[in-house]
Amino acid sequence: MRRLYYLALALLSALGAWGIWVRMTEGLRVTALTSYVSWGLWVAFYIFFIGLSAGSFLLSTLVYVFGMTRLERVGRLALLSALCSLGTGMTFIMIDLGHPARFWHTLIYRNFRSVLEWEIFLYVIYAAVILAELWLLSYSRSPKAQAWVKLLGTLGLPVAIGVHGGTGSIFALAVGRPYWNSGLLPIIFIVSALASGAALVTFLWAILGPKDADKPALVRTLAQLMALFLAIDGLLVASEFLVGLYSGIPDQAGALIALTDRFWFVFWIGQMGLGFLVPILLVALPVTRRSTAWMGVAGLSAVLGILAVRMNLVIPAYVVPQFEGLRRAYVDARLQYSYTPNRMEWLVAIGVVAFATLVFSVLYEQIIIKRSQEVPGR
Amino acid sequence: MADLPQDELILRMHRELAEAVKKPVEQRRWIMVIDLVKCTGCTACTVSCKAENKLPPGVVYRPVMDMESGTYPNVSRSFLPRPCMQCEYPPCVKVCPVGASYKRPDGIVAIDYETCIGCRYCLAACPYGARTFDWGERYTEGTPEYQPYEDLAAFEYGIARSRKHDASPVGNARKCHFCLHRLNAGMLPACTTTCLGRATYFGDANNPKSLVSELLKTPRVMRLKEELGTHPSVYYLT
Repeated sequence: MRRLYYLALALLSALGAWGIWVRMTEGLRVTALTSYVSWGLWVAFYIFFIGLSAGSFLLSTLVYVFGMTRLERVGRLALLSALCSLGTGMTFIMIDLGHPARFWHTLIYRNFRSVLEWEIFLYVIYAAVILAELWLLSYSRSPKAQAWVKLLGTLGLPVAIGVHGGTGSIFALAVGRPYWNSGLLPIIFIVSALASGAALVTFLWAILGPKDADKPALVRTLAQLMALFLAIDGLLVASEFLVGLYSGIPDQAGALIALTDRFWFVFWIGQMGLGFLVPILLVALPVTRRSTAWMGVAGLSAVLGILAVRMNLVIPAYVVPQFEGLRRAYVDARLQYSYTPNRMEWLVAIGVVAFATLVFSVLYEQIIIKRSQEVPGR
Repeated sequence: MADLPQDELILRMHRELAEAVKKPVEQRRWIMVIDLVKCTGCTACTVSCKAENKLPPGVVYRPVMDMESGTYPNVSRSFLPRPCMQCEYPPCVKVCPVGASYKRPDGIVAIDYETCIGCRYCLAACPYGARTFDWGERYTEGTPEYQPYEDLAAFEYGIARSRKHDASPVGNARKCHFCLHRLNAGMLPACTTTCLGRATYFGDANNPKSLVSELLKTPRVMRLKEELGTHPSVYYLT
C-alpha cells in the first residue's frame, strides 16, 4: 500500500515534470491565458497554497506562542505543512512568470512601492522562521529550544499575517477592478487562510495521527477551530458579495454575477458546498462530529472548497472588460475576456501538487515521526 | 487653426516636435489628442503601430473600439482609438515588483524589457486594458513556410531587438510608448502620421503655442475614466 502510494505520486510528479519542461521550452503560450485574463489556474493554486501555509503556521502559533497545549501534538505537523505549502506556492508562481529564469530580479531590483515586492521580501523571512522552528523542535537538544521557538513564533505571527494579507493586497490594490478593489479582501484572505490551514491539519491528523485515546478529541478540536474560521469567513464574504451585488451595474457587479454563470459549479458546489456547508454541517451534526473519520472528511472538503474559493477570486474579476468595446476591438485568441484552464495547465498543477505531497510524505516520515522518537516529549 | 489644410497640420506638428526634442527631456511633456468626430474607424493607426513595432499575434497597442448606438435601422456608429494613456499616476508602474515599468520625465510610461520578469501584475492593474503580453506566438508558425520577417528586429525604446529564440520582448508585458524611438529621431508616432482623417494629434503640452496645447483649450476635451484620478496624457475631443 505504501509502495503503491509513493509509486502513484512519483508517476504523477514525472508527468508534471514533463509538463513543466514543455512549459519552460515553449513558453507561456502552452497555457490558455490571454492578455485580458492574465492570471489563471496557476495563480489560483499559488494563493491557495500560500493561504494553506499561512493558515498552518498561524495554527502552530496557537501551540508555540499562545500555549494551547491541547494542540501540541500537531504543532510540528502544522509547521511542516506550512513549509511544504509555501514551497508549492512558490513553484506555482515561478512557472507562471514570463521569464522564470529572472526570478532573482525580485531580490535585486527593488520597487518599494510594489506590494508584490514586499511579499517576496516577507516570503524569505517567513521561510527562514518556519525552517528555524522546525529545526529547533526536531533536532536541537538545547534546553532553550522551546524559548527560541516561542520567540520565533511571535516574530513569525505578524510575518505570516503579512504574507497572506499581502497576497490579498496584490488583488485588493487593483484600482480598476471593483471585484478586487476592497479593503475587506486582505482580511478575507487571512480568515480563509486560517480556515484552510485548520482544515488541512484536521485532515492530515485524522489520517496520519497515531490512533490513541487523545486522537478523537484532538481532531474534533481542530475541526471546531476550522468551523469557527469558516463561519467568520462566510460572514465577511456575504458582506462583500451583498455590497458588490447591490448596484446591479455590470461594471461593478459583473464579476459576482459571473460566479454563477458558466462555472456555477465551482461556486455552488465548490465554494458554497464543499467549502462552507458540508464542513460546518459535519462539525455540527451529533452523528458525524464524534467520528474522527468524518472530521477528516470535513477537513478535506474544506480544503477542496477553499481551492474553489481561490479560483473564484482570481478568474471572475477578468470577465468584466475595461471597456465594453475592447471585446471586439481587436480579435485574437489572446485578447479574450474568457478563460478555461487547458489540459496542460491542469497536468502541471496536478504534477506539482503530487510532487509536493511526495516531499511532504518523505519529510513527515523522516522528521516528524523519526525525530519525535529520539527527542522525547515533543 | 480649424481652417488649416491637413498637410499643414502635420508639418506644424513635425516642426513643434523638432523644437521639443531640442529641449532637455524633463522639460517635454508628450500628449496625444484624438478627435473622435474626425475618426472614421479605419484602424490604419492600429495597423501602422503593428507594423512599426513589429507586434506579434495577440499584442496590440492601439485597438480602435467601435460603438454602435440606436436600434436597427436607426443606427449610428462611433469609434474610439485606445493607445496607452501614459497616466500621470500610472497604476501599472506602482505595482511592478522589479521596477521594470517606469515613468519617464517626458511623461511616457516605459518598460525595461531586460528587467521585466513577466508576472503580468501590470496587466491586471491597468484600468484601460492597455497592456498586452507577448506569448511568443508567430503569424506563420505551423504554416508551410515560416516567414523570416517574424524575426526582424523592432526598435522599441531605441534598441534593436529580435524575438528570435523567444528572447525579450517574448515573455514580457508590452504597451504603447508613443513611438519613443521615433520621437527621439524627430518623427511623430506611427499612428499620428498614418491617421487618414488627421484625427490624432501629438505634441508637447509644455509648449503653450503647440497645436496640442491649442486643442486642449476647446470645451470638447475629455479623458477616459477620469474618476480614477490617473490623469491620462491622452485627451479626446468629443
